[in-house]
Amino acid sequence: MKLNLRKQFAPILLTITSGLLAGCAWTGVKNPSGVPVTEMRADEAGFVRSTGIESQDLVSVTDKMARSILNTPEIARAQGTPRIVLEPVVNETRFPINKDIFLTRIRTQLNTKAHNRVRFLAREQMAALEREQALKQSGQVTSSSDPNVVEFKGADFFLTGKLQGLTTRSSAGTSDYVLYSFQLIDARTSDIIWEDAAEIKKQGLEDAAYR
Amino acid sequence: MKLFRVIAFTLSVATFAGCASTKSSKTWSATGDPVVDGRSVISHGPPKDRVLWQYRTALAALRRGQYGEAKSLLDDALLTIGGIQGKDKEAKRSRGYFSEESRKTFRGEPYERVMAYYYRGILYWMDGEPDNARACFRSAQLQDSDTENKDYSSDYVLLDYLDGLATAKLAGDGSDALKRAQAVSKAGTLPACNAKANALFFLEFGTGPTKYATGEYDEQLRFRAGQSVVRSARIKIGDQTISVGPCDDLNFQATTRGGRVMDHVLANKAVFKTTTDTLGNAALLTGAVVASNRNTQEAGLGLLAFGLVSKIVSAATTPSADTRSWNGLPQFLSFTAAELPPGSHTATVEFLDARGQVLSTLTKTANINVASTRDTVVFVSDQSHTSKP
Repeated sequence: MKLNLRKQFAPILLTITSGLLAGCAWTGVKNPSGVPVTEMRADEAGFVRSTGIESQDLVSVTDKMARSILNTPEIARAQGTPRIVLEPVVNETRFPINKDIFLTRIRTQLNTKAHNRVRFLAREQMAALEREQALKQSGQVTSSSDPNVVEFKGADFFLTGKLQGLTTRSSAGTSDYVLYSFQLIDARTSDIIWEDAAEIKKQGLEDAAYR
Repeated sequence: MKLFRVIAFTLSVATFAGCASTKSSKTWSATGDPVVDGRSVISHGPPKDRVLWQYRTALAALRRGQYGEAKSLLDDALLTIGGIQGKDKEAKRSRGYFSEESRKTFRGEPYERVMAYYYRGILYWMDGEPDNARACFRSAQLQDSDTENKDYSSDYVLLDYLDGLATAKLAGDGSDALKRAQAVSKAGTLPACNAKANALFFLEFGTGPTKYATGEYDEQLRFRAGQSVVRSARIKIGDQTISVGPCDDLNFQATTRGGRVMDHVLANKAVFKTTTDTLGNAALLTGAVVASNRNTQEAGLGLLAFGLVSKIVSAATTPSADTRSWNGLPQFLSFTAAELPPGSHTATVEFLDARGQVLSTLTKTANINVASTRDTVVFVSDQSHTSKP
């Protein structure tokens, strides 16, 4: 009789115990132990995605633009070192972004890899530079050259760009196409001496719970 | 032996059902300050409600002129709205029979998502970034694009109008956007975009819609229209008086979205709940009759157990709709622009009722400093505690 009872209660106990364990482990907390920090390369698509502008887009677009600028004859065969001024990028997409990040990365790519074949002018620092020049002119600080001679360089080229987008949304999902175009404009003639573009299209569909 | 197995299974199901829901304990104390308290809930409250509280707190901050606070909250919320969460476990579970819809991470209904983008757009414009503001208005309009009846798709007047104005200010051609705005406008001819207008007034008034659930199991999401005593506004700056009518009505926007995909899921859950409940009743009744006969007692007990399980499964099924709402939204959105000389100005915003009478208790005064290099943006709500440029 004892043996029979054990046989009967064993599966019951097992079921109840597993039920308790399984039921109570579901606390409604997503990733209760957290998600460990995962270091990603800036040019790889991470596990957090959107159809918007992401770091891998920035890297691939700016790498392409930097390479393309250096292959432009006006830059590659320039007499002396061309001076470039950055003009703000125009964002016409539906994604609010820090637009300057594109030009910043193109500039750093060119500065680190172009070996002084181009120079950028720090126009955004003009206020501080003019203050410093005024201090030198007034004799309040020392100067290694004649402070009354204007040495601020003028631009040979302006580098600017535009981000434009097309968006489609339907029950099948959201599709975003972004065209990244950049131009190098001759400051003397207004000629567009270089232009290149990159295109990225992404699609996705959110969970039915949000539709 | 079989009977014991059935009972054990029943107990397990009951255990599952009992332990599936948990309540978060409150680990903060309310101060009465909506921004401080909102921040506390965001930090200590359930992660699934984080975006909801970011919305609410951002709006409270915006109405108090705490624009930096509002920006950081909206930026974080927009990251969640903007991300395609293809495989969201909580969203998937919220579609399951035994989880409530409100289990999913809150992102809001389209009109709520639109407002998050709209407010962020205002803040971008305030910071002298009309192109990013336009990006927000375009994303906002996209949130409203997936309506059941396409007549109501992307039909916010103000979003297209502001898109056109921003484009004109950025030396582009905003005429297409303005045509779209005009096509959906119910308030007659819209004022032409003046790209030289350098003082932009974003006004809002009334109380916006809230959500409630109806149906046998609260499985149907409905919207309760908000109310507004205010019907229009009047701005006085120096010798200029500008009348401002409503451009968009959030009650209309909330109620013209139509059915959701999730509504079908909830309807299925409700049918399942009804079916399992009916089946349980039938099995319990039949089982009781069959079990009363000694010859069929075992079969009767089996039916009773089955009926019990079916009833428990029915009780555990949760078809209720998610009624978490971004409360505090306005009913009407409005906008006007003026061309002012650079320098300090005092703007008085009066809110008027349906008869055109000034509701003096709601009048706001803003000291604005018009810059020569960029637009000056003024946000005024009838619920503002303060208004500043």
